[in-house]
Amino acid sequence: MDTQFIRNFCIIAHIDHGKSTLADRLIELTGTVQKREMRAQMLDSMDLERERGITIKASAVTIWHTYKGQKYELNLIDTPGHVDFNYEVQKALQACEGALLLVDASQGVEAQTVANAYLAVEAGLEVLPVVNKVDLPHARPDAACEEIENSIGIDASDALRVSAKSGIGVMELLDRLVERIPPPKGDPNAPLRCLIFDAVYNEFRGIIVYMRVVEGTLKEREITHMLGTDKVYEAVEIGRFTPEMKRTGSLSPGEVGYFISNIKNLGDVRIGDTMTIHKGPKVEMLPGYRPPMHMVYADFYPTNTGDFESLREALETLSLSDSSFSFEAVTSEALGFGFRCGFLGLLHMEIVQERLEREHDIDMIQTAPTVTYRIRLENGEEREIHSPGQLPTSDKYAQILEPYARVNILTPTEFIGNVMTIASDHRGTYVRQEHLSPTRVQLVYDIPLAELIYDFFDKLKSSTRGYGTLNYEISGFKESDLVKLRILVNTKEVDALTCIVHKDQAEFRGRSAIKKMRKEIPRHLFEIALQAAIDGRIIARETISALRKDVTAKCYGGDVTRKRKLLEKQKEGKRRMRQIGNVDIPQKAFLAVLGGDDEEGDKK
Amino acid sequence: MSEPATPWTRADPTLARGVPDETPRRERAAAGTPLYVHLPFCAAKCHYCDFFSVPAEGHDRAAMIAAILREAELFAPRAPRTVFFGGGTPSLLSIAELTMLLDGLDRITGFRGAALEVTAECNPESLDRDKARAFLDLGVRRLSIGFQSLHDDVLKLFGRVHGVDDSFRAFEAARAAGVQELNVDLIYAVPGQTAEAWSTDLTRVLRLGSEHLSAYNLTFEEDTVFRRWLEQGRLAKSPEDVELDLFELTRELTRAHGLEAYEISNFARAGHACEHNLNYWRNGEYLGIGPSAVSKQGTRRLGNVKAIGAYARRIQETGNALHWEEDPPASTRLAESWWLGLRLAEGVSAREAAERARFEGDDSAARKLAGELEEQGLLERQEDRLRLSARGLPLGDWVAKRFLDTLS
Repeated sequence: MDTQFIRNFCIIAHIDHGKSTLADRLIELTGTVQKREMRAQMLDSMDLERERGITIKASAVTIWHTYKGQKYELNLIDTPGHVDFNYEVQKALQACEGALLLVDASQGVEAQTVANAYLAVEAGLEVLPVVNKVDLPHARPDAACEEIENSIGIDASDALRVSAKSGIGVMELLDRLVERIPPPKGDPNAPLRCLIFDAVYNEFRGIIVYMRVVEGTLKEREITHMLGTDKVYEAVEIGRFTPEMKRTGSLSPGEVGYFISNIKNLGDVRIGDTMTIHKGPKVEMLPGYRPPMHMVYADFYPTNTGDFESLREALETLSLSDSSFSFEAVTSEALGFGFRCGFLGLLHMEIVQERLEREHDIDMIQTAPTVTYRIRLENGEEREIHSPGQLPTSDKYAQILEPYARVNILTPTEFIGNVMTIASDHRGTYVRQEHLSPTRVQLVYDIPLAELIYDFFDKLKSSTRGYGTLNYEISGFKESDLVKLRILVNTKEVDALTCIVHKDQAEFRGRSAIKKMRKEIPRHLFEIALQAAIDGRIIARETISALRKDVTAKCYGGDVTRKRKLLEKQKEGKRRMRQIGNVDIPQKAFLAVLGGDDEEGDKK
Repeated sequence: MSEPATPWTRADPTLARGVPDETPRRERAAAGTPLYVHLPFCAAKCHYCDFFSVPAEGHDRAAMIAAILREAELFAPRAPRTVFFGGGTPSLLSIAELTMLLDGLDRITGFRGAALEVTAECNPESLDRDKARAFLDLGVRRLSIGFQSLHDDVLKLFGRVHGVDDSFRAFEAARAAGVQELNVDLIYAVPGQTAEAWSTDLTRVLRLGSEHLSAYNLTFEEDTVFRRWLEQGRLAKSPEDVELDLFELTRELTRAHGLEAYEISNFARAGHACEHNLNYWRNGEYLGIGPSAVSKQGTRRLGNVKAIGAYARRIQETGNALHWEEDPPASTRLAESWWLGLRLAEGVSAREAAERARFEGDDSAARKLAGELEEQGLLERQEDRLRLSARGLPLGDWVAKRFLDTLS
């Protein structure tokens, strides 16, 4: 197809603002998928995505739209809305010339939307503002447009007003897309250059590469060369997403599709790489992606020490479709061999953990997430600390620094006071505030990243009745008065439970951590002492009493099956446990140093 | 009680899908196989009870007896070693109904001449001298009487329809009728019960001189009124240290009165242990008939449907009222044989556990675990037999979980 009849676009939206619904409607109204084959959230193919109602990975679909008698190929690249998946958004933006900025007419602009819209503007995309859910009774499209102009700085005077759910304005939106979004540039006869923007692993077909042809034409049977990894593969099957994969045999400039070559070696494909023709003319590599910045680290240990290699394989497979987390082997005194993994944020960490368990059936123990600290030694040398256990005693370094985040919080004005309170509770420093509209305000704070991880997001949600949203970026490192909080189980220090906390909060955190552990660790046949220590000083102690009675009173012929199943159910919980010394510690206890559902939180 | 009683029927937790062509099937039991007969009628549902039962009034008891006899004709063993009538409340049936049932069953199995032990469960409100005499005449030589508590207020809390006096009267009536094998059922660790109170009650029962005593720690089974009350906070479980005190007190007092603690909750004079129940703990085969009754054949366990209408109809139409079956893997069977065998004072040897489980592989994991538990002081050894030690007895489930965990 001639590139002038192709449009590549993505949709930028906050969770619940109707992105998946709009995608569904575009697919349906253009007849891409027969109505009887429609299901909600066509593009969210992972179970996890449908369940959580979020998009995690970028994916793609080709739809056809006729405008003024001409048939256009519209490639929709779906993007995730959550800040943790900015990296995925970046990938999607690289493959597009335009973006729909979708804003809920009653909710207004949210912090994450602002961040993603900035990314699109920076990438030089044509951004079309679209106000959704205009048919709802609380819709205030004018205010939403005002917020778009004030927060992102693009003209929203002619923003389209649609209802993705009922289809109002959607046909007009398709026309507008064709009019306003520029066609991809690219010479079909130039030497081939394709951008690899995603990949998934299929058991039967090997790695399926998601790509966009930038220049030249890619045909089946051609021998290709991936420049970054220096790997050569034959194009066995080429096709498009409709959204199911549909073989087309070739892809021309601007087109988005897939490439299959029974690639089994996970390391051969790298997201952001450039693909060209083997032994063809020399080409420049396309600009790849900014490498993701890992700000949250956690360790994964297999529940059964023997599963270390399967965990490694699972991480390798997963890293193929999610190139934004890192992992390296580590050893813990308490937990043995495992992996320290770096993530973009907390949600990202949860998703990786769930995908490992669901898609790879791995049982594992995950330690509480921690941020990267830096220490400055007396001789001026700086070192990064990815795991609290690595922190030497305080006499071994001159300064300890922690990462700070510049946090943008968007909230209805009535909650300003609440937000200020939780920000200062979390050691935040006020930067500024801006009124986006009479009812919405943007507050900017500098907050230690560790505080964001601890429970800031939960607290923000609860203190703004769910209306507050935030986005952050790392602003730098600052010196802090931090100490190492150690946890001892029957007087044995458990390195996997050590954390670094602010001195003023250390006692409270220590107490609350062992209280939570007391609830999570099952009783044993002996007494278990839990202690929290700062430096050499024990600051709190809890005791789990010994189990003394546990026996079924009545057990006859008719009972055996059921009683056995009850016993089996009780031991089921044992799967995700690790033994430290002679104490079985369940997964949840390893997260006890995190905030969240402590007693203080329960009262709310 | 103002609270509605537990539903009389409830979903079977072990339920298999009831598609007709997937209906489990059973063979006729081999001669000598122990026989269990479930009589599902009760005067009222006790609040702690999770056995299957329906109200005695308003149901066609004669039809139920006919169905049970029909099932017996198809599957019951000739000359069962033991027979046990449970429920439900077998004593609630009239003498005429009992005659119909027991004559019929003897015609089919010849149990009167063959069985070593024939037991019926009785409740005080429906056991008098005539009923006891009738049981003896009809071939039932052992009666088990549900006293449960020696306090009228507790009996009321339990939802029982008799008083304490009725229990003693029933016991004396059975003795007077000439019943020589008597069991008394009691429940302890009732909310608020002290060691002193339990000691007084238990001693009073022991003085009756029954051949056998079953004393159960109160259990809040799923789908019972008591469980609901526990969850609602209307009832509290006794503290663990109290339960443990009462458990140990029970063993001491029974021993002092000449009863051996031959199982976790069962005590008997020498030679009077319940043979029928011993077979369960030895993981032996048995045949159960009547609604909800469970059978063990080979390595499988099979259960009848838990509904009297469906039971009677299916027996009449197809002769098969089975609703679920399980055939656990060999490793699970081995763990079960250990778990059940260890409950007994006679214990179990590794060889027996494997034989009972029909386990033919390498059982060194089980032997190794048994060794570890012995070292921990939870098991004790007499030659090649192991059993729960004094410390291990109250931790029987913990030990069972270790076997299930390690072997499966």
